[in-house]
Amino acid sequence: MEMVLISGLQQGLIYGFMALGVLLTFCLLGFPDLTVEGTFPLGAATTATAVMEGFDPIPAVLLGAMAGALAGAATGLMHTKLKVNNILAGILTTSGIYTVMLWAMGRPNISLLNKEDFFTQVLALCGITSGELSLRAMQISIILILFLMVAAARLLLGWFLRTDLGLTIRAAGNNEKMLSALGVDVNQTKLLTLILANFLVGLSGALECQLQGFADVGLGIGVLVAAIASVILGIMLFGRRSLSWLLTGVILGSILYRGLLALGLWLKLPAENFKLVTAVLVLIVLTLPNISVFNKKAAPRSNADALAQQGPIN
Amino acid sequence: MIKLNNVSKVFFPHTPNEVLALNNINLHIKPGDFITVIGSNGAGKTTLLKVISGAETVNEGRLTLAGKDITACPEHERAADIGRIDQNPLAGTAAEMTIEENLALAFLRGKKRGLGQAVNESRRQCFRQALAETRLGLEKRLQAPVGTLSGGQRQALALVMATLALPKLLLLDEHTAALDPQAARQIMALTAHLVQTKNLTTVMITHNMEHALRFGNRLIMMHRGRIILDLAGEEKAQLTVPQLIEKFSAASGEDFADDRVLLETVHQNNVVA
Ligand SMILES: Nc1ncnc2c1ncn2[C@@H]1O[C@H](COP(=O)(O)OP(=O)(O)OP(=O)(O)O)[C@@H](O)[C@H]1O
Ligand SMILES: [Mg+2]
Repeated sequence: MEMVLISGLQQGLIYGFMALGVLLTFCLLGFPDLTVEGTFPLGAATTATAVMEGFDPIPAVLLGAMAGALAGAATGLMHTKLKVNNILAGILTTSGIYTVMLWAMGRPNISLLNKEDFFTQVLALCGITSGELSLRAMQISIILILFLMVAAARLLLGWFLRTDLGLTIRAAGNNEKMLSALGVDVNQTKLLTLILANFLVGLSGALECQLQGFADVGLGIGVLVAAIASVILGIMLFGRRSLSWLLTGVILGSILYRGLLALGLWLKLPAENFKLVTAVLVLIVLTLPNISVFNKKAAPRSNADALAQQGPIN
Repeated sequence: MIKLNNVSKVFFPHTPNEVLALNNINLHIKPGDFITVIGSNGAGKTTLLKVISGAETVNEGRLTLAGKDITACPEHERAADIGRIDQNPLAGTAAEMTIEENLALAFLRGKKRGLGQAVNESRRQCFRQALAETRLGLEKRLQAPVGTLSGGQRQALALVMATLALPKLLLLDEHTAALDPQAARQIMALTAHLVQTKNLTTVMITHNMEHALRFGNRLIMMHRGRIILDLAGEEKAQLTVPQLIEKFSAASGEDFADDRVLLETVHQNNVVA
């Protein structure tokens, strides 16, 4: 049971970065960014390759996140400059990433056994030798490190989304035409959001690689649906009362989702069914009336509003 | 201020659905002008404003703003100088953001946006002041999501947002048409107030002939993509609604084909009688 808790927290926090990224693109910007499925393993693959090349784990993780940002930029440029449909742009990037990963790693997976990992290095920076820690203390240290990182990301995002620049992201998701009429280049806003979101997803993949000690080109399969499920869980449980709740909620949603998965594994439920179960649950939630998670229009105030909402501003 | 030279706009060119929405328009909007625009359905009024604001590109002709050629400028680059309000109250505001966040977006119209706090106390002060002029009590609801406002309130907010950063030119596209009569009256009064106190150069499309005559110093009538009548000063001031309809028939060779205008005119006549 303790393992369920530890694994749920570790995985939930790591995937919390991804949930924040998915919140940015899917919910706030209103851009269904499928790049995520490629960015996650790319973050892992980049980090693993960097470590194999002799990089320290901390800069290697940073490189993984930056590779994610680059993938986000690729999707963004395809969409804004070349006018490729948003979903297709994500698919194209993801497909390209697959080859890039194979090419960079030289094989479909890399094991980092016997290499110093990110968490050990962070602890070393704090003057703690992880060799002297019990397994349990090590697991808890990892949770603490991840918690501080996610909390920092959460606070930074909360601050950023309330700046003049950050405000344009939500405005772009709300009413693109208005934003353009107020003098904002909406394409730049989209590009910026995609870079930021995929940086977070790349970071997620990089940390997962460090925790598991390996990278695999297949790591991304199904992570998007899982992230969407986490975001939905967060929004359903903690609501969209305010931006702060939204940001904190999706991280808690991610922890809850990963916790449930860990519990399922511990109960020896057949793991191969989890992705289908998640997909079906997400589908059910999305079709429930009155739970507007990815539907950004507020409930109409009157019939006139309801009619007007079918107008061209969608 | 702004000049349109031989501007034409064609939708779906070289197809059977080709529409010549603007047909060789020449228009000089002078600083301080308050122009009202009327015309039959599909005359090209909305297209004219969109072409000026940059929401649509032109097929032919040139636009200059304060001497600078802006024909190729995208909308967001013209936004510093031009504020536009649509007929749809939902189009000018962001529903899921609060009133103060919407105003913060408008506060930096056309300026570079950095990492400063979008809403701070000094800006709030400015927002409250601007909202107080609407006389709708919106200044007390800065943190309310805009989606919870009525159509009239949203249009009032849109008006404040369009004028907050003092654009050189204000474009209003039937901005009271979707509102109930009382809200429409309030918004028109607010419009007149803002245009006057802020001394804004304004172009206002309306279906209300009486408004077209009562407001502004100049009146333009459009028909099938052309400006068929352009009256200013005394000549406009003296005009009555029946005379205006007559002038339309004479200039276009057709009856005024707009149900809404006719209904409103009949209604007004009944009220008078
Ligand atoms: N985006 C568009 N695509 C294709 N055709 C368009 C588009 N916008 C306008 N048109 C056409 O251009 C012509 C002028 O339209 P516009 O909206 O400017 O008229 P209007 O004078 O504003 O009419 P109304 O009084 O009904 O608002 C119409 O024939 C219209 O069908
Ligand atoms: Mg129109």
